[in-house]
Amino acid sequence: MNDVEDAQLLERSRRGEESAFSELYRRYQAGIYRYAVHMCGASAGDDVVQETFLAVLRQRGRTDAPRQTVAAYLFGIARHVVLQRLGSRYQPLTDSGDDDVSEVASGALTALDTLTRAETIAAVRAAVQSLPLVYREAVVLCDLEEMEYAAAAGVLQCPIGTVRSRLSRGRALLVTKLGAVYATAHARRS
Amino acid sequence: MKESEGRPSLGMVLRTMAEDEARLGASSGIEARLLAEVRSIAAARRRRMAIAAFAAAAVVLLALWIGSQRFVPPRLDQARVTEVVTDFMPLTYSGVPSTNLQVVRLAVPRTALVSFGLTPPEPLDHIFTDTVLADVLVGDDGLARAVRFVRPAADQEQMP
Repeated sequence: MNDVEDAQLLERSRRGEESAFSELYRRYQAGIYRYAVHMCGASAGDDVVQETFLAVLRQRGRTDAPRQTVAAYLFGIARHVVLQRLGSRYQPLTDSGDDDVSEVASGALTALDTLTRAETIAAVRAAVQSLPLVYREAVVLCDLEEMEYAAAAGVLQCPIGTVRSRLSRGRALLVTKLGAVYATAHARRS
Repeated sequence: MKESEGRPSLGMVLRTMAEDEARLGASSGIEARLLAEVRSIAAARRRRMAIAAFAAAAVVLLALWIGSQRFVPPRLDQARVTEVVTDFMPLTYSGVPSTNLQVVRLAVPRTALVSFGLTPPEPLDHIFTDTVLADVLVGDDGLARAVRFVRPAADQEQMP
């Protein structure tokens, strides 16, 4: 999406232009909804979307453009809403920086080959849900919402190296968890 | 679920899940509520602009009115009202020299006219009072040197 156009839509939305707001909402509500559901559960999706866009509209006195992309700006607000909901359940890690876990053991995923698509999706969703929140949000933003590392770093308010580190750890944990899912499914079938 | 090597990658299974979740989104009621908020913003903005325009117009009109007040020509009926005066008539101290004389307008009893041999005039508005106007010529020593009688009159009218 053209970010200049996004910025114009944001500015026009703050001025009360319905068509601009509808377009901005159409572009980003689904991603924010999914992010909220992954972080807080299905019941939070609507509320987080509403609070995020209300916050945007209530900043109508602002005339400056966001320092980052509009997507990162919106997800940043959504994250703020999500963290308020999570409260003490969200435990930020003291990241050591760019200690990338580059080699993800992918052997365990071979097992998924034998699962149906629906079973695979259910298994992956369960695995993502079981990740610690700091890793989960990195996986959700970068792998599921396909956000660039720099934008994700803006949303998470941390260095890019930290995003990479969390993503690698999250992926490694996912592979391990998915291996366990397969083992359970395989045992059930045999 | 397979990649070319015959083994699904984590990225592939995540993409599969993302594709499945692409249909998810907030309920339509949320957008309706937010659009109502947008409409209220637009209405408030219109109100602010209307108030600002009204204020600006009021300032302009006030400025124009003030400007017009400075250049109002004398009203016709006011222009036509003149005064009829007698000649200055000497008083007791008219012979005392003075370097600086001032005219002081006073209301004096109508009988003062008679003492100068003048007939009290009928006022223009036909409302009789006990006094008439007089201009007294006073020196800087405070002594009255002369007096003349005054009354409003229409154009062309002469004091008797």
